[in-house]
Amino acid sequence: MRAKLLALLVVALPSWLMLPLVGSIDAESVKLKYGGARVTRQMRDAIGQGMAIALLAGFRGVVADFLWIQSHGYWEKKQWLQQYRDMEVVATLQPQSILFWDEGAWHMAWNIGYAVSVDTNNVTAAQGIKRERAWHERAQEFLARGIENIPNRYELYFKMGWLYLHKLAPDCGDDLACKKTRYCEATEYLRKAASFPDAPSFVGRTYARALEECGDIGAAYQQWISMWKHGPPMSEPSSILEREIRRLEDQFDLPDNVRVFPKHPTKPPASP
Amino acid sequence: MTEQTASREWVGFSLRRVWIIAVNTLTESMRQKVYNILLLFALVVIASASFFSQFSFGEEAEQVASVQLKFIKDFGLGALSVFGMLIAIVGTAQLIPNEVENRTIYTILAKPVRRFEFLLGKYSGSVLLIFVSLVMMSMMFGAEMAFKQQKLVGEVLQEEQDAAARGGLVDHQEIQRNITSIRADALDPNLVKGVILIFVKLALLAAITLLASTFSTSMVFNVTVAFMVFFTGHLVGTAKELWEHSAFARYCLALIPDLGMFNVADDIILGNAIPWLHVAKVALYGFVYLATVVAASHFIFSDREI
Repeated sequence: MRAKLLALLVVALPSWLMLPLVGSIDAESVKLKYGGARVTRQMRDAIGQGMAIALLAGFRGVVADFLWIQSHGYWEKKQWLQQYRDMEVVATLQPQSILFWDEGAWHMAWNIGYAVSVDTNNVTAAQGIKRERAWHERAQEFLARGIENIPNRYELYFKMGWLYLHKLAPDCGDDLACKKTRYCEATEYLRKAASFPDAPSFVGRTYARALEECGDIGAAYQQWISMWKHGPPMSEPSSILEREIRRLEDQFDLPDNVRVFPKHPTKPPASP
Repeated sequence: MTEQTASREWVGFSLRRVWIIAVNTLTESMRQKVYNILLLFALVVIASASFFSQFSFGEEAEQVASVQLKFIKDFGLGALSVFGMLIAIVGTAQLIPNEVENRTIYTILAKPVRRFEFLLGKYSGSVLLIFVSLVMMSMMFGAEMAFKQQKLVGEVLQEEQDAAARGGLVDHQEIQRNITSIRADALDPNLVKGVILIFVKLALLAAITLLASTFSTSMVFNVTVAFMVFFTGHLVGTAKELWEHSAFARYCLALIPDLGMFNVADDIILGNAIPWLHVAKVALYGFVYLATVVAASHFIFSDREI
């Protein structure tokens, strides 16, 4: 008995002495956003007993992957709400995963959005459009939460800008003011995405296009010029830059002396 | 003073004896069918992670590659953790009960070997077994990642060739960026941090199983206790959140090792920067904890009648 008490004391004392170390590790984990949401009763109900056990055993990544695959199964069976529920759980389990936010929003806005719009259960075409727009808004809200969780990467800002450009702005229909507002909102996200040093060139190009849609053609021209001047060395996409700069210079009807690509060049344009 | 006590006082602690017992334990464990089957199963599961990665639904090449690599890493490191846990628990739970049952413990302890040396040797043997298993599983995992990386890079290059053949616009920078991203993602040196912490966690789990086996003669009991601690250890984080304002609860919870702390692999896979300092702190926590558990095992084992 004495040995057992001694053993308990031997374990207890260092454990208590290590409390500041444990506190520091916990604080670091919170600061660096390790882990993700803790397991709750609602989560257990959503993922089922087996998955919950795996989750409790520390296999968060594997559980998230399985749920992701399961959500795709729901998509194939046209069970969109179940798919949405799974995507929500997966994003809660691994909120630091760009992939889940990105693909989840893509599923909602593009795949589910289209599927509900042509669903044979729709009584009228208007109902299909209404349902489609509801899914676009869900995607927007989903991506916004993704950005809150991962504000230091370009990907989700880009996806949000893309969503505004290709789904939310067209949803305005004939309401031009609404459309323009949404295009301008897209530029905000795309500007942020393009400001990341590791953002690929297509992000900057999309930003320029969004600026044009927003009505700020001058800023769009400046963006193309900036990409031409500060972009990487000549390559195939440079022809896109050249084409766009030429187009806008023609649109503005700029004189040859201020054009990057003069109509009647005396010497070839300075390479970027 | 009896003759036995006199001889015990005379024999000093020897690391050499601990090492001999450890190597012997390792050899014995590696000869066991259970271990070999578990390891074989682990290697097959890790090797099959590639099939699991086919369930990726992205549109862009980079996205598909990123999903596939994430699935392989999650699955591979998950397998490392699960099979490592099984090997650690099953391998350690039977060490002392087997020695008692086969009566070999009497022969060993009749020699000038201290009980602590015996216990430490057995534990070290178990840790060596975990280490060897993890190295083998990690090598398989590494090979799997290298293979997948080659395959994905090949696919990207093939797509480039196809696009060029169709006369489409080929963005060489984008392709180069994709290839660099795939290589960086597949051969991420940060994964080592995850494997290190899995090792420390398993060593700690082995120490807890050893503690159980010092006062119990039933292997089933030892395995059950170890599994319970494993699950409870992963719930400590949740419990801490629930009772964060209770100092009493905090002191009680400190007695159970917080195993969730060691699960940084998920975050590494997601691209979170895990500083070495954080890894060192968690490893220090694990080592201090396992040292105390081994010391506690010694107190119980030295008092035990064999």
